[in-house]
Amino acid sequence: MRDHVQDNIIDQFHGLEWLDKYGLLISFARELEPLDEKFRTEEYSISGCQSRVWIRTYTEGGRLVIDLDSEAMITKGIIYLLMKVVNNRSAQEIVDIDLYFIEEIGLKSNLSPARADGLASIIRRIREVAEKEVN
Amino acid sequence: MIDLKNDFPILSKKIYGKRLVYLDNAATSHKPSSVIDTISDFYRSDYSNIHRGVHYLSEISSDKYENARKKVSKFIGTSDPSEITFTAGTTDSINQVACSLKSILKGNEVLISGMEHHSNIVPWQLAGAKIKTIPMDDECNLLVDSIEITDKIKLIAISHASNVLGSVNPIKEITEIAKENDIPVLVDAAQSIQHLPLDVEEIGCDFLAASGHKMYAATGIGILYTSERFSDIMPARGGGGMIDKVTLESTTYLSPPLRYEAGTPNIAGAISVGAAIDYMQDIGLDKIRRHEHKVYSHARKRLLETDGLKVYGNNEDMCGSISFNLDNIHHYDTGLILDKMGIAVRTGHHCAQPLMGSLGTEGTVRASFALYNTKEDVDMLMEGIEKVRMMYS
Ligand SMILES: Cc1ncc(COP(=O)(O)O)c(C=O)c1O
Repeated sequence: MRDHVQDNIIDQFHGLEWLDKYGLLISFARELEPLDEKFRTEEYSISGCQSRVWIRTYTEGGRLVIDLDSEAMITKGIIYLLMKVVNNRSAQEIVDIDLYFIEEIGLKSNLSPARADGLASIIRRIREVAEKEVN
Repeated sequence: MIDLKNDFPILSKKIYGKRLVYLDNAATSHKPSSVIDTISDFYRSDYSNIHRGVHYLSEISSDKYENARKKVSKFIGTSDPSEITFTAGTTDSINQVACSLKSILKGNEVLISGMEHHSNIVPWQLAGAKIKTIPMDDECNLLVDSIEITDKIKLIAISHASNVLGSVNPIKEITEIAKENDIPVLVDAAQSIQHLPLDVEEIGCDFLAASGHKMYAATGIGILYTSERFSDIMPARGGGGMIDKVTLESTTYLSPPLRYEAGTPNIAGAISVGAAIDYMQDIGLDKIRRHEHKVYSHARKRLLETDGLKVYGNNEDMCGSISFNLDNIHHYDTGLILDKMGIAVRTGHHCAQPLMGSLGTEGTVRASFALYNTKEDVDMLMEGIEKVRMMYS
């Protein structure tokens, strides 16, 4: 099922050259609130990423909140988009969501488990958290 | 300046519509047409299993395989080809030594440098040895004078050239210290065999390990030199092709090198190493070295004169790799952006996490050079770096 948040992202990336795509991701990264220092620790980190990525999750008013951060800006830009798409939903919705925007903005190759950015690990972790919440 | 790009078909490939600038040679190098042709010709017209058949093709294949061994032995300065074993790569070579020496190493120590690749750390740990390191100065140069030899140290295992920094280690000084104390030395030549003259007899090491794929040959083939005094160590693997006589009670082994090559070896791989050596020798090793030195020095100079960029390591003698980071820009970002400009570098810890600890970083951007790189490639890299910086300003 398509949703307007993802469609919006796809529109923003439409027709951009690679370097402009990265430029856009960097500008998104700058907008992302950094995760509090106390969550930027081993305990909250996701392994399998070449740049360190941290995840903190909690529920608020029946919604699952996913906070992510990374030390690399391009990863952080992707994280920003992921958070935009998955947050403000119930855990069940997060379990079910089809993250089609990743492929459509040209980041599909980043999803391969062999890729160093660990986008696949990040998404896997988000789903795990959501599944736990559902059960 | 020599330009050998035309010898390497893949280098004419366009990446994202741009000319490929391949600077990830420390990870693996590309193959010249002559090597590719040798492999395909071998399968097309000569292929068979070796050392076993009485038939025509088997003899040709065996000859070619043994001829490759001779080329390797000459290339690294030993007159005796039986001191060369074909393995699957540097990692495999080191693991085989660790396995063969396990009874000596277990509970004792192996002395290494703090810049070793994980392949020259983990096998010793698996063999039950504790790791000790040679102290380094601020620029990651080994302080050979501070080496403290104890009875516990049963082996010194050292990389000839660092895969991260490009620094060339004083292996000759180290083997001299080792000799005085009767300790064997293993040289990890994965990052030197393609760049520096190698002479195991001059170096005075007992073992030397290298990978075919980093020296313009195929993947899955490696070299292990074992000096004569270790020619009777226990083989790490058993099987066909390495035995003298097998009964269900006990087995005796062939002499080296076959003793260390259980099972059907990577025949085409070994032959490709011979072809790669021919390729380098036809150009001329001195000529290659002079050219590589020019390109490497140009890269180092340009990186050093760039503001807001840190270059790691500084040694009188350097080759191959150079590591750096842009201030406040994550190495991973730098690598991703360079990639989209057609420039292939490697980022991360380069399988040398203990060294990253000493450098005080999680990772670096590494540019690493081969004989086909030119000053122009360096200039493209520098343009790429400028672009990365602009994107972050
Ligand atoms: C110094 C060093 N040692 C060992 C290795 C391992 O080589 P291989 O993966 O070919 O076994 C490498 C490869 O990067 C290396 O640079």
